Parts: sequence; structure tokens; C-alpha cells
Amino acid sequence: MKKDKLKIGIYELTGCAGDALLILDCEDELINIFHAADIRSFLMAKSDNIDGELDVALVEGSVSTERDLQELLDIRKRSKVLVAIGLCATAGGNQAAFLDPREWEDNLKKVYGRTEMTHTKPLQSKPLNAYVKVDHYLPGCPIDREQFLSTLTRLLAGHPPELHRFPVCVECKWRENDCLLNRGILCLGPLTAAGCRAVCPSHNLPCVGCWGPAEEANYTAEYQLLMEKGFDREMILRKMSTFSGTAIADFAARIRGVKK
Amino acid sequence: MKTISISHLARVEGAGGVTATIDGQVVTDVKFIINEGPRLFERLTIGKTPEEDLNIVPRICAICTLSHRYAALRALEKALAIKEPPKVLLLRELMHLGEMIESHSLHVYLLALPDYLGYPNAIAMASKYGFEAKVGLEMKQFGNHIMKTLSGRFVHGENPILGGFGRFPTREELVFIKNRAVQFLPFALKTVQLMCELPYPEIPESDTLFVCCHPAAGQFGFMGDEVILSNGDLVDAQEYKKVTNEFIVSHSFCKRSQYDGKPYSVGALARINNLGERLEGEAGRAFKKYFNARWKKNPLFNNAAQALEILYSFERIPQVIEEALKMPDPEPVGWGRDTGKAVGAVEAPRGILFHAYDVSAGRIAHTDIVTPTAQNAEDIERYCFIAAQTLLKKGEEAKIRDRMDLVIRAFDPCISCSAHMVQVKQAPNEDWKTRLQELASGGETAFVGLGREDRSDDAAGLELARLLRDRGSKNVRLAEDLSEETAPAVGTRPLVFLDAVDFGEKPGKICLLPLRFVLWNTSLSHRLAALTGLPLDSEQLLGAHLLGIQPASIAEGGPISAEVREAMNEILEMLGN
Amino acid sequence: MRIVKLKKEYFHPFLDVISRQAELWAPVKKGDKHIFDRVEDFNRIEMKTTRTLLPPKKLLVPPAFNTFTFNAEGYQEDLSHVSSKILFGIHPCDIHGLLTLDKLFMHEYTDPYYVKARQKTLILGLSCWPDEYCFAKSTRTHIIDEGFDLFFTDLEDFFLVWVGSSQGDDLLRMKPDLFEETLSDSDIQRYIRWQTERDKAYRTEINFMAMPDLMELKYKAPFWEEAGRACLACGSCSMVCPTCNCYNVLDKLALGGKPGRRLRLWDSCTLVEYSEVAGGENFREHKADRLRLWYTHKLQAYVSKYGKPSCVGCGRCLVTCPVEINVRTISKALEGEDPKAFWYRLPSEVKP
Repeated sequence: MKKDKLKIGIYELTGCAGDALLILDCEDELINIFHAADIRSFLMAKSDNIDGELDVALVEGSVSTERDLQELLDIRKRSKVLVAIGLCATAGGNQAAFLDPREWEDNLKKVYGRTEMTHTKPLQSKPLNAYVKVDHYLPGCPIDREQFLSTLTRLLAGHPPELHRFPVCVECKWRENDCLLNRGILCLGPLTAAGCRAVCPSHNLPCVGCWGPAEEANYTAEYQLLMEKGFDREMILRKMSTFSGTAIADFAARIRGVKK
Repeated sequence: MKTISISHLARVEGAGGVTATIDGQVVTDVKFIINEGPRLFERLTIGKTPEEDLNIVPRICAICTLSHRYAALRALEKALAIKEPPKVLLLRELMHLGEMIESHSLHVYLLALPDYLGYPNAIAMASKYGFEAKVGLEMKQFGNHIMKTLSGRFVHGENPILGGFGRFPTREELVFIKNRAVQFLPFALKTVQLMCELPYPEIPESDTLFVCCHPAAGQFGFMGDEVILSNGDLVDAQEYKKVTNEFIVSHSFCKRSQYDGKPYSVGALARINNLGERLEGEAGRAFKKYFNARWKKNPLFNNAAQALEILYSFERIPQVIEEALKMPDPEPVGWGRDTGKAVGAVEAPRGILFHAYDVSAGRIAHTDIVTPTAQNAEDIERYCFIAAQTLLKKGEEAKIRDRMDLVIRAFDPCISCSAHMVQVKQAPNEDWKTRLQELASGGETAFVGLGREDRSDDAAGLELARLLRDRGSKNVRLAEDLSEETAPAVGTRPLVFLDAVDFGEKPGKICLLPLRFVLWNTSLSHRLAALTGLPLDSEQLLGAHLLGIQPASIAEGGPISAEVREAMNEILEMLGN
Repeated sequence: MRIVKLKKEYFHPFLDVISRQAELWAPVKKGDKHIFDRVEDFNRIEMKTTRTLLPPKKLLVPPAFNTFTFNAEGYQEDLSHVSSKILFGIHPCDIHGLLTLDKLFMHEYTDPYYVKARQKTLILGLSCWPDEYCFAKSTRTHIIDEGFDLFFTDLEDFFLVWVGSSQGDDLLRMKPDLFEETLSDSDIQRYIRWQTERDKAYRTEINFMAMPDLMELKYKAPFWEEAGRACLACGSCSMVCPTCNCYNVLDKLALGGKPGRRLRLWDSCTLVEYSEVAGGENFREHKADRLRLWYTHKLQAYVSKYGKPSCVGCGRCLVTCPVEINVRTISKALEGEDPKAFWYRLPSEVKP
């Protein structure tokens, strides 16, 4: 291993492993990645993993247990740059959809009953930035191969990643899809960060929001628009919160508070 | 006393690890721990629409994403009386074959093979075995391509929807897949040869019960409305709890007669064992050539079974596409009703997967999802235990760690099990004390003495129970005194049996073991059949432990030996505190 | 200008001849809307369309394409988006849109990617009939006398074909016996009647003459803030606009000794990143400021330079913006009328 190669670690907290799998799906590029960087740890791809100082840590998954938290704190401590990869890490993911801590606790009890977990303590799922400083975000459920490669190559070259900061609608127009919202379909494209090439609308399906909130996600306008189209309030909030993780908590509380 | 722990088994739909605890000549514990945090997926679906459920549940696992979607679709369509057009069924089969090829070729070539060839990862392996790595990669890419074409993207594609697809694949896309599948056939044959002829080690070998979907019309396949067990039983998938429950029960002594008291295995090896006779063409020929009695008891053959299924999938794809091309793209299908209850079963690459839903007025009211890895977990522990115990007995302790690795990976619990961090830790002496204390933290411990009065040290369990009772402990029973009335109250935990057990150790050695481990070890379970008659709650037995003392002699009519007496005193003293 | 007559039954035979020379692109159905697509089966061509989802600019500068590849030694231009194309079915407003792009990309600073694609593209215009969203008459872009090679006016049984360039003439010469050189009086009357009727069919009118002044006079009007609050910042208005031409440039690096790529992507001044500069300063942080910029460009700035608005009245922003921010509602608001737009219905109590 040459000394000048960047030391990189890829880690998985609680999630579906989809982002690590997507990295593995880079296939022929994977060999180039292993040549270009010193991959110190990548559980899904190799068994000779080493902990230690890192230039870049890529972390997937949400913090959902005390063990996740300790691992994340440890990774942060030994990494110069920390990149949250995938929706669970950037926004909290599906599992962060229970916004109210009491609601989460009730549901936890419903699943696990009275059983006390001995191996670790469960925590309400949160994105990485709830606990540590995150330097870059690579959203997506799961992340996109092209976006990952472009982010990684830029990091290897010493540049910050350049990701789309606009919502899905831009890419949706690029693919010349008819706007589903205008057809009365509950599409979350305007609220959702681009990067997926508008895959769902391109399959005649509404965006469900799996890239997490776009930088300027206009919840108020989208909410009002959907109300005017006849959708019910809870349906709208439920859809909005499925993939937005903790980002929608304030908005949902305000809407529910205002309308009650 | 030491602990061999594979603490970062990583992915088992999350992070997982395995720990084996060794006390002298006895493996006293094997724990297959899933470190995954709570994600509450079943709860997340409550109150949501069936369409929203389909957005969420595939995210349970990236590796089986399409199987989750497929199982959910089957359940929800049944619940909502949605009649799938024949073309939709064919294209779903195609997408599922894509996932099978993707998952199996990744596992066989890139995750399992490096183990057998002695490399830390596939990239290192590629330097010497470039052809194998390349074939594996290309097959996997092809599987990905099928998944992407049908589902919209590599992972978590949303295209398969209730009653059909958001976008149907074009004729050109289907013809391309068909032609590529035909081109792959020679490589699939080579894969079978390679994986079926690997020298799989003989440890661990032990019979198990295989469970998989029972495809209709005598076909091999990856879904069905019934579940077939290797003992010949057929169960309606709607009654899946009979299978999944009986598994719990089968460990719990009470009802083990049902499945011979064994955990069960799901996955490629289960399918090949239960349905291999149905394979036709090249896959059928390969099955006849390679299948033998060892496939029935050695989990490592799952790698070979996966190779057979890769071959089957490549042979099946052209047939599916030929059929599909004859049909026009169907119109979207509406709901027949908005309230209903149903179960969908499909074979994920790593085994049978159940999704059960209760839909009420268009909203999900109840969800139950049983994943293959959850079902395999007990057998994974059992085979790890057998491997560890057998190697220990043979004086090959050094091999334990790697062998457990091999076993776990063979089950293909999920992708990252290819990689792990293995640690060997020295644990303190008299670990049974610490663990007994840990148990007691879950509530007041109930003790049940076992043994035979007239057989010297074999009376130790009974004698110990009497002594405890004499000292005023309330929760102590003798096996023969147990009746419905005197059994420890339901829900009381923990439950510890006291008995003399021949561990092959020096007399007086004390070991604390999970009760079901004793069952898995034929040399230890000489007397546990008697437990089946006890009027105990099955869940209690599942979590029960055995506190055993190594006897000096169990000859008829003798007294309890001095060594065992001393051990008994040690236990009494510890419990007195 | 030379005008000939083409009977309807000769239309496909004509396409058959010319499509051997170049890729034929024409409006086809996508769902119940239309798009320009490569056509080999002429029956797919939709003759009675209004606007396509995207304007024809997508064929000259695609939404996202590679401009060049590079490595340590240098760079290599990538012109793979350039091919010989015949675009059939472009309506007058969209031809005006292309003429606007020509001004921007072909004159002062020439853009090789646009110029090379434009030079290889033949424009075969087609007459159209307005719907309630068309206002090309207000922008004076409903008729066209330049910017095409051929222009087809559909008069039910036959087309009148205007020949706009020598290249257009060459196309006719490939199969001259399909065309009739002499027009009867009744043919001519038919055309005049058709044109008069069409003129009357425009239902949406906007006073573009007043817009440059109104943009200045109403620059600080409160409706901008309100529209800004409603704006989804989704960029759709720019993507579908035939004259929006801004683009972003993104460098993609590669591993394993492979060359990097410099991508060019459609951009919009309504997007947050557009006015951000190094160091993170953003000149138009608020959406209202960005909307004002967009409309300044469409309604005012272009007028002072070229004497006409850079809006061609195609109505795409009217049918595309989900929250009703478009040339019609904004111009109404500028005129002090109530445009009955979404932004006035947006409740003020929930401000994220």
C-alpha cells in the first residue's frame, strides 16, 4: 500500500445495507477504488479490516442503538472527513418516521414487548448529524452509483463533492415526464433532493421522497397544493414523513398544532 | 474458559456477531447476535395504505429488496382480491430470477469462494482466480440488470406495483435478457461443477428439517401457496404460523415430537433437498450427478445448492420471456375489495419469507413479516455449536473460529457475513457464577432437580434441589413432583435445571448451558427426553438453562462422590449469597 | 418565398424519401401529452398537437451531455449529441424560440455545441391551432417567416408548404413530382380563411408592450414576496421554456486512468445554487429575488436589447408550474389585477 493513498473506511450502522451494497455494485469500478484508495475497512467486501486513523469515513445507517452511537463517535474521532451516505445517515431514513419520542417508545414496546435488550440499548433512530459533525451528505435510498463515484473521486482528488441541490422536478423535466402533481397524483418530487434521475416518475410512479428533503423543500406550498387537490391532511403528512426522517418533524408539529 | 467471538459478522439485515463460549471441554454457549438497531418496520406500516407499505417494506433489506416487495405484493393482492394478469406473474418471476442470480452469484463467487481458496476478499482472489471472479461479477451484473429493468433500479426499485408494473419492459429489453441468459448457460454449468466439487469439510454434519415454498404443478420454483417440509408435511401458507410457531415449540421440548425437536433450515439447500427431484434440463442432470446424503445434513452444501439454482434460473429465464412476449401489456388492475387478510410467501435467495397483512378499509391494520434469517438463526447457532463442540472434542480448538465463519457464511444470512472481525477472548474462571447472576437479574430463578436416586452422582441434581428447598428456597421443584399445580408459574423466568451431566470433563466440573444446546449434543442429551413429559410452559423451556456437574460415576447404588459433593456445596454457597 | 402544395396522401412518401438523409424527429404521444422523438414509423407522428412537454431546444443542447473528456495530457471534445436531424412538426412559437437561442449562442459568443448541432438540423415547421394556454399572438410569435427550411400549413386535404431555405428546397427536389407548383384561388382562399379563424382562436392575451415599464414600476410590489413563498424552487419553468438557456458545468472525475468528463446541465436562475458564489455568498438567497430575475429576463431585459420579449407565448409555464407562477399570473399581478393565483391562497400562519 502506497503511503500517499487516502485512508478510507466504509461503515454500516442501523439500516438495510443498501448503500454498502450499492458500493459493491460498482463492480469493475470497485477494483479501481481499491487501487486508488487505501480501503482500511469495508465489512461487506473484505475481512482484513483495520480500525485506525482515516482520511475519509463513509457511514451508512441511522444511529438506532447505543452501540451505533459509540461506533459513530469512535469513527468521528479517527476521521478527518466524515460523509453520511444514504438516507438513514443523512436524514434518519424510514425508521426515523416516528417523530414523537413517546410514539416511538410505544411502538418499540409493541414489537419487543417487555424483553430487555441485553446486548445494547435501543435509541430512537436519528441521522448522524444529531450526534456528530458531518462534513458531506450523499443522500438516497439507496445512494446512486454515479453520485457515489463522483463524490468519491472528488474526495480522492481533494475536492468537496458536487451534488445536485435542486429537487427531483429538474431531473424529471430532463427526462420529459408529464408532471404527476398536475395530474392530481400525490408526488413528492418538489420536496425531494434530486440525484435519482427521477426514476419513479419515469416509471409513471409518484416520487415517494426516498432521497430525503431537498435544500429548499417548500413543505408549506406542497402541503397547501395537495390539500387543494383533495388529499387528506394525515395522508399528506404521512407521505411527507415516510422518508424525510427528522427533517419534517417541525413542520408536521406546526401543521398539526395549527389545525387542531 | 474462553470466548471465541466473531463480533462483526456485520450484515444480517444489519450488523451481527457470533460468540462461542468454551469452558474446558464444553461449549457452554453460542450466541448469534443481531446488532441491528430497532427499526420497527412492521409498526411503521400500520395505518398506511397498501401502496405506502410497498414503499417501505422492501427497505427492510437491500439484498432481498425484491423478495420483500414480491411477498408483500402477493399478500396484499390476495387480501384486496386483485387478480394479477398472467403477464404480470411471468414478469414478477423474471425479476425474482434476477434477484436469485444476483444474490447467489455474489455469494458463491465473491463471498464464499475466497474462503475456500484462502483469500481475504474477492479482489485479492481475482489476482490468481481472475476467471472465476470475472464470471461471478458478470453474472451478478446480469442479475442486477434484470432487477433494474423490471424494478426501476438496482436496489429498492418501485416499479412493481399492485396488479402490475408502473412501466412494462419493452420487447427489446426482454429479448436482450433472454439472449444474454442463453449465453450464460455454459458459465452456469461451470459454476455448478466448481461449487459441487469443492471439498466441503465434514464438520458440522447433523440432520435438520428443511422448509421451503411448495410451487404448484410439480414445478421447481421460488414461490407457492403452500409450504413443504422435508418430513413430507404440507402447510397452507396462510397458516404460516404453524410452521414458524412450531419451530419455537420444537425447541421447547413440549411439542418437539412434531418436528423431531429440531430447528429448521431455509434457503437454497432446503429448496434443493425438498424440490431437487423436480429440476429438469441441465439443472436436473446436475442434481442427479451431485446430490447425495451429505447435502441433507451439511449446511456448507448450501453453496452447491445455490450454484444449482443459478443454473436453474438461467434455464428458466428464456422460458419465462418466451411466454411473456406472447402477451400484450395488461391494463392496470383495480382492487376487488378494500378489506381483507392474507399471507404472501416467496423464496428469498436465503430462504422462505412471509409477509402477512390485515387490511381494513384500505389501511394496514396488522403486519407480520418473518424473514429467512430469523428462521435460520436457530439452526445457525446449532450448527456453530456442533462445529465448535466436535472440533473441541477432536482437539482442534484452533479451527473453531474459521469453521464457525464458514458455517455462518454458508447460510448466506446476508451479504456482509462475508466479512467479519474475529476475536478470541480469555474469560474469567467459574464463569457459570457470573452467568447465573445475570440470569437472576431477569427475575427470581426457578430450579428443577433432575436425576436418578440410585445411581451415585446421578442423584446430584435431585439432592441439590432438596438441599435448596431445605434452606428455604421457594422456587425449587423435583422433576418427579412436578404437576400442573406445582409447576413454576407461567412467565416465571429464568428456569434452571440441576443435573449431573457427562461433559467428558474432570469430576466436579460445573457448567451452565442453554437447555436447547444440550438437546443438540447427542452425547449430553441422554436423559432430556424425560423433560417432554413435564408440564412446563414452552417459552420457559426455550429460555431454560442446565446447571450441570460432571459426575465421577453413575454406577448403580453408589454414594455421591466427594468431587460432586464439593461442587454441590460450591453451588449452594453461591446461591446462598 | 416559394409556396407549393402537397396532397395529404403524398406526405408519408415525402417523409420516406427525406428520412433516408437524416434522423427524422417529430411529435409523438407520451401518455396523453406529446414529445419530440426519433420516428421511424410515420404513423406515430401526431399532426394535431399543441405544445410538446419540452421545447425543441432539447435536441440542440440536451438537458445533460458531455462536452469533453480530459486527462493529464489534455482534452477531447465530445460532440456525440450532434447528428444530422430533420425536425418535423415545430410550431411557429417554438421556431421563434430557436431564433432566440440562435441570437444567444450563435452571434456574440458562439457556442460550438449549439452551433454544430444547429447547422446539422433542418427545421420543418407545422401550423397549429391555439388552446386556452397559447398566447403567442400577444408575443407576435404565432406566425413565422424565417427560421425554418420548410413550413407546412395543414389545410385538411393538403398542406401548403413554404420553402424557407435552399436546404428546404433541396428536400423538395428529392421528390419534386409529389408537389404542385400552382395554387388555385380556392386553395388560397382556404388558407386566408384558416388564418383569420386561427387569429380569432387565441383566448389568452397579455399586454407585453407594458411589461418592461411594469417590471420597473412594480419591482418592489409585495406580490413578489408572496409568489416567492409559494415557489417550489423546482426549476420546471426554466426547463420547459423554449428560450431559457442557462447551464451549469460539472466535472466528473474517473478512476483507473480513465478520462474525466465535463458535463453541461440545464440550469435555472430560480434554483438556489444559481447565484451562489465562492465562499458561500448568495446574491439571490430569496426565491422572490430569483423569480424577479426570471421575469426581468423574459419581460424586460431582452426587450431593451432585441426589441421583443424573450417569451414566445407557447404556454408551457402555464401548464407546467404546479403552483401557478407563470407569465399569465405574473403579468396580471404586474397589471394590478387579481390573477387568482395559488400564492394568494397559501395560508400565512405556517411559515417553515
